[in-house]
Amino acid sequence: MTDGWNIVVCVKQVPDADDVSIDPETGRLNRSDAEAVMNAPDYNAVEAALELRDEVGGTVTALSMGPPNADAVLRVAVGMGADDGVLLSDPAFGGSDTWPTSLALARGAEELDADVVFGGEETTDSSTGQVPPGIAAHNGWAQLTYVEGLEPRPDEGRLVAKRDVEGGYERVAAELPVVVAMGFGENDPRPAGLHRKIYAETDFEPETWTAEDLGVEDEVGLAVSPTQVGGMDTADPVPREQEVLEDTEELAEQIAEVV
Amino acid sequence: MAATSDSGVDIEEYDDVWVFVEQHDGEVASVTWELLSKGRDLADERGEDLVALVMGEDIDETDIPQQCIARGADRVLVADDPVFEPYRSDPYGEQFRHLVETRKPAVALIGGTHTGRDFAGRVAVPTHAGLTADCTELEMEDGRYEMRRPAFGGDALATIICPEHRPQMSTVRPGVFPAAEPDEDRDGEIEDVEVVVDESETMTEVLDREVGDVADITDADVVVAGGMGVEGDFEPLWELAEMLDGEVAATRDAVEEGWIEPARQVGQTGKTVRPKLYIAAGISGAIQHLEGMDDSETVIAINTDPNAPIFDNADYGIVGDLHEVVPELIEYFEEHEEAIPA
Ligand SMILES: Cc1cc2nc3c(=O)[nH]c(=O)nc-3n(C[C@H](O)[C@H](O)[C@H](O)COP(=O)(O)OP(=O)(O)OC[C@H]3O[C@@H](n4cnc5c(N)ncnc54)[C@H](O)[C@@H]3O)c2cc1C
Repeated sequence: MTDGWNIVVCVKQVPDADDVSIDPETGRLNRSDAEAVMNAPDYNAVEAALELRDEVGGTVTALSMGPPNADAVLRVAVGMGADDGVLLSDPAFGGSDTWPTSLALARGAEELDADVVFGGEETTDSSTGQVPPGIAAHNGWAQLTYVEGLEPRPDEGRLVAKRDVEGGYERVAAELPVVVAMGFGENDPRPAGLHRKIYAETDFEPETWTAEDLGVEDEVGLAVSPTQVGGMDTADPVPREQEVLEDTEELAEQIAEVV
Repeated sequence: MAATSDSGVDIEEYDDVWVFVEQHDGEVASVTWELLSKGRDLADERGEDLVALVMGEDIDETDIPQQCIARGADRVLVADDPVFEPYRSDPYGEQFRHLVETRKPAVALIGGTHTGRDFAGRVAVPTHAGLTADCTELEMEDGRYEMRRPAFGGDALATIICPEHRPQMSTVRPGVFPAAEPDEDRDGEIEDVEVVVDESETMTEVLDREVGDVADITDADVVVAGGMGVEGDFEPLWELAEMLDGEVAATRDAVEEGWIEPARQVGQTGKTVRPKLYIAAGISGAIQHLEGMDDSETVIAINTDPNAPIFDNADYGIVGDLHEVVPELIEYFEEHEEAIPA
């Protein structure tokens, strides 16, 4: 493996969390006016992918699944320095839960002959954290989640990760190919370089692959998704007194009242 | 209802409620007891057994299986082999897959810890199970199993169903359900199961593992939490927490600054706490933070910004600098020792 690693980084377009609101009349979500952005934890994934490429050589390909306009997040990744981008886009993917989503991404990663696949810790819109382990499981690959830092060992064909575990950390060595879910906020994502950004937004054209291209047309979409949304309720805010006090002594008395 | 669903899965073949027993080095994660308690209720409602699944090395030399029975399990399945210590996703996932395929559980509950969330996906994919992350409510509703979880950062609660696939799996964060007291007189069966994983097939190796004494903020009656407003100095918060016999917690941003350890993070990606008293000092009240503290009985906010959303989510608040207010509180309790528990 002297010519570097094929690094794939999965990125997702999500509604800007700050813009999603609940219509108090209908109880429905107002997502329509929310701006579409790249999932915040994915910036950490892209940064980690680029750092790994700096160390071991090779290429970084951004991979996303979504509607045609989700190519915008591939452009963000390319602007930051990714070499290329592929969009998995097909109406057949509609309604996929994490099982078929991770299947499609797993097939995409295989198609790209990935040595390492990066993802963010979770997405801000559904926050399941299940897609990276799902990709690894579909392909029978190793996985490293909640990763804080990486030490590549190209001569061993392994990637060592420091991962956060409850109350501490562990260092785990995984054989390639491996799926890495980067911990949110674990590195400082680089800003897009100006020339790269202009290229990403003007000349760069991502490839688009359909479900049929991946050979998964019968295994994706709502119909094969094991979980289904059976309903959505607005979460009622917990009723609170909302009393603002004037001085610390009053506050202390309230505290004493409770303990 | 047809026995075989559209997915080709004969869902009637599947029964029992399983709980994954998360243990590291013989130490059982508290969320396991919470899940056994919730699992007991579900199993009773479904008229099924509650089964605890333990994987590890030399489990027989611990009293973990007996503890699982005391905490509600009817049966305990033990997979005992050096390959299971310490935890790794690939051997754990493979063993669980085998057990699911041979024993067919209807429901499986896993702690929403980093270990549990790492492991759950490794099981759900090969068994084509439905997996719902971070559930906060699990109910039998007119014979249908419903998993509820916060969506859109906590503004909404989504009900997830899994009509045609088994098992119906959920992860649940620590602190969401209360644990039941152990009953040492309960009876149950302990069964050693066949280990189907071999070290030669594993893809990962744990080089080292450093785990300190893990603080358990989910159990505290008083939580004194700090955010970015603390500006790096948690000392007064520790002092106040000690006086009130409580624990110190923090927002994600404060954890990321390295001011305090991650085990003390409250919120969507941290822990759920349900103390009698939650003091939020220098915390803005972001929805992801509120999600982890909304079950607190009384919430007190200290913030310099009168428009901080935390005030809408607090019972009592004071607009002020925590670097002044917290020392004043400490001083008050020094002078009024009778006002607080000994
Ligand atoms: C996917 C995702 C998951 C997340 N998960 C979590 C989670 O689990 N937990 C979590 O907490 N956050 C989480 N967050 C982050 C969350 O959105 C907020 O960014 C975070 O909670 C803000 O932390 P804070 O209140 O400490 O900081 P800020 O929002 O910066 O607020 C600081 C507050 O301190 C006040 N202040 C400043 N100085 C003083 C002073 N001297 N005295 C008194 N008050 C002062 C300010 O007025 C302000 O209100 C998550 C975000 C995302 C995108």
